[in-house]
Amino acid sequence: MNPNLAHNKEILVFLLTSLGLIVLPHVTHLPWGVFGFFSFLLAWRFIGIWKPEKLPSFPWIVFLIVCGMAVLYTQHRGILGRDGGTSLFVIALGLKLMEIKTERDLYLINYLAFIVAASQFLYEQSILMAVYIVFVSCVLLATLVFINSHIADTTVSLKKAAAIIAQAIPMAIIVFIFFPRVEPPKWLWFNDPQQKKTGLSDTMEPGSISDLGMSDELVFRVKFEGALPPPKNRYWRGPVLTLTDGKKWVQARDFTYQRYLDKPKFSGPFYRYTLLMEPQEKDWVFALDLPAEFTKPLAQNANYQLTTSDDLRKRTEFKLTSYPTYNTGYLTKTEYKDARQLPALPSERIKQLVTQLHGYDRPPEEYITRLLNHFRKEDFHYTLTPPLMEDNPIETFLFETRYGFCSHYASAFVYLLRVAGIPARVVTGYQGGVYNELGNFLEIKQADAHAWTEVWLENKGWARFDPTAAVAPERVEKNIDINSLVPNGAINYAAPDSSLAALNLLKQARKLWGHIDYNWQRWVINYNNANQSIFLSSFGINDFKTMVYWMMAIVGIITAVLSLILLYQKPKQIDPELAVYNRFLKKLAKQGYVKQPGEGASDFAERIKPLLTEQVDNIENITSAFIMQRYGNNPSDEGLKKLSKLVSLFKL
Amino acid sequence: MQNDIQRLLEAANQIILGKDRQIRLAVCCLLARGHLLIEDIPGVGKTTLAHTLARLLGMNYQRIQFTSDILPADIIGASVFDSKNHEFKFHPGPIFNQMVLADEINRSTPKAQSALLEAMEEHQVTVEGVTYSLPEPFFVIATQNPSHQIGTFPLPESQLDRFLMRIELGYPDPKSERLLLTGQNRHHLIQTLSEQIAPQQLQALQQAVTGVHVSNALLDYCQGIINFTRESSEYHCGLSPRAGLALLTAAKAWTYMDNRDAVIPEDLQAVLASVAGHRLRSGNNDSEAIVAPILAKVAVH
Repeated sequence: MNPNLAHNKEILVFLLTSLGLIVLPHVTHLPWGVFGFFSFLLAWRFIGIWKPEKLPSFPWIVFLIVCGMAVLYTQHRGILGRDGGTSLFVIALGLKLMEIKTERDLYLINYLAFIVAASQFLYEQSILMAVYIVFVSCVLLATLVFINSHIADTTVSLKKAAAIIAQAIPMAIIVFIFFPRVEPPKWLWFNDPQQKKTGLSDTMEPGSISDLGMSDELVFRVKFEGALPPPKNRYWRGPVLTLTDGKKWVQARDFTYQRYLDKPKFSGPFYRYTLLMEPQEKDWVFALDLPAEFTKPLAQNANYQLTTSDDLRKRTEFKLTSYPTYNTGYLTKTEYKDARQLPALPSERIKQLVTQLHGYDRPPEEYITRLLNHFRKEDFHYTLTPPLMEDNPIETFLFETRYGFCSHYASAFVYLLRVAGIPARVVTGYQGGVYNELGNFLEIKQADAHAWTEVWLENKGWARFDPTAAVAPERVEKNIDINSLVPNGAINYAAPDSSLAALNLLKQARKLWGHIDYNWQRWVINYNNANQSIFLSSFGINDFKTMVYWMMAIVGIITAVLSLILLYQKPKQIDPELAVYNRFLKKLAKQGYVKQPGEGASDFAERIKPLLTEQVDNIENITSAFIMQRYGNNPSDEGLKKLSKLVSLFKL
Repeated sequence: MQNDIQRLLEAANQIILGKDRQIRLAVCCLLARGHLLIEDIPGVGKTTLAHTLARLLGMNYQRIQFTSDILPADIIGASVFDSKNHEFKFHPGPIFNQMVLADEINRSTPKAQSALLEAMEEHQVTVEGVTYSLPEPFFVIATQNPSHQIGTFPLPESQLDRFLMRIELGYPDPKSERLLLTGQNRHHLIQTLSEQIAPQQLQALQQAVTGVHVSNALLDYCQGIINFTRESSEYHCGLSPRAGLALLTAAKAWTYMDNRDAVIPEDLQAVLASVAGHRLRSGNNDSEAIVAPILAKVAVH
């Protein structure tokens, strides 16, 4: 073989290809400058395989290093933090490619590549990425195998590397389950300005929720301990918006009345569930209306919305209990004032409408019923792409366009109630969720974002009303299927039986994938200190010491089993005459007469005959009988018996 | 029949002193229908050996001295214009003999070498579109000087492969040398030799050799040797399938000469150096040393 492996073309092609595979997924989050610089160096090195004279000389390498530092500085202003650190590794890897001189450099690059592969998990922890990284590690290992084997064969190397990984995986799983979890230090969560999460905001303007309307992004998942609540009760409470300037709705500023609030009275059935929040920017936790039991770090604000003091930029799990039937009791003065706030005096048209619907002269319940009927009977339409309403959007919506979605209906409804002097407010959050039968959980996506209203009624407290349901009951009782939105933006409520079988299969596959992904998030990504102790205590492992013992014992067993498989060799089927002859050899070997491996029977006999003069005949007989049986023209059972007898009688 | 072989060997040993093993190998090569290459410095008895064998086997014998300017026509013959009959007539070259001694084959150019080697392989020559069969039995003994000597064209691997065996004669031991110095002139002695095995009888012997039994156990050992040469780092390239066949054929002939009817590993070992030595390149010219690792490491079961 070529003495200098660093110039072996096959090895270089293999190594560089695997490097390309490793850095490839970084394309989505590394700055273009860094990625471009690396690709440029990689391409240069590829050319260098066939044209070594094209590789940079020492001054050029120094220049490239300066360039690399410049790229790093301009993109990240340093090397601290996740992005800066990853870029540093990628650039260093690219620069190291320029000086592959000895075998040692190949190893160094390979190890560096493993680090870059691992850094991928700082960005994405999905199951697909994990599979990809395992594949890439396999290619990297194969490169190492390739360098170290005298048979340079890609397939053989890949097979060997795959076998190594397959043997390592059980070990990795055991160590993953039992190894003490260390919570990552806070600096890892340094805010990276590049990542922005979409989601509900704490204000509402016409159109703000429709931005989310088409987003398929997952917000949270809920797993119920018992039966699921019916779709019409699936309201996931988010920020409550009380104050408005006629266009924009915001939360109340003053929450000091919270301590004067009545405790809500719960009644009827309740739901216990586990909520798994996807990473988000805000500290909101979307509980089912209305949460009754929760534990720290959760807290409830004056609007009954749950917030957390934990960092929600990683996935978090909460165990909650909610009651769909409740009475919040009396209303405080501040609430009363805020919930009747109007941006300006209502116009004549509005007053007329309220009078027409008996807003001023009948009880609030009756007015509400008339109002909902008004939305239902008049020519109101539900659409995610309503016409623009620049000035006075509520009036424009009520009297002119009559096309809108939940935020339009909720704000108009609250406004009309307030004009009649009834306290009301807008609640935002999510409504509905797709049930995954396989995993028995609900998936709530950004598209489920919704706005509804709460009206304070005597003896009932804050009661929920959803004017959108009056216009488009399907929106609430079923769920909008994003796939069936027609191009012009109107929503098409196609009956499910009209969908094709293929579409069903696709949905089925999506649900299965959702289930797998849920379990991956639940059991792998979110397997933290708390989850580990819960999981292990279900096996009766309660303290740290037992946990480490268990880990060591299982790793030991796996090692033993693997080494047994690797070291155990099936004994070769030995021909009978050879077995007999070996017995003869053993007898001789005891006395120090050992046959050399490459020595034939007859040569051996000739060699030992002069040393064992009194056994010459026996040795000759045995040897010739053996040769007759083993190499002869017609070996026979009698011959074998004779040989066996001779050997048995042979004594030294 | 083995008695005839024994007598032949004894007679040959009277002429070439102290070279029992080499003579035995040469006869073995002949029985296995192979050609023989003798490599050694001039004057150790290569030509004498060839001449002796030819006399003892009663074969037509012709010697071709290879020089750097020898042409293919000098070996296989040429068509010459016959002015009496007004036609071209083929004059067979020295190769049309049962035993041909190609002396110092590596002194000639590759072109002349290949003319001989083709004839050896095919047992026929083709001149101007007409194919002429060579006599049977046909046996070539080629001699060559060690390649470090001046004015030699080393035979390429592909042509070395045409020779079943390569042997080295070497200097005689002191006792034989003394006998040689005091004894009669070898040329005169050769003239007195009588035929021991007739050509027809030789062909029968060659046929008998093919009937020697080879057991599975022996084939295992044979394949063990072949695989060892292919996998070991000692050799640039391992033995070819043709080499494997040659090894087995030579071992059969050796067994036959030893008056046995089944090959045993010792027979393979006996012929291994001369059969495999020139086919394995390991930076060493000594056949025994080349195959020593095989004999030591490949286990006999």
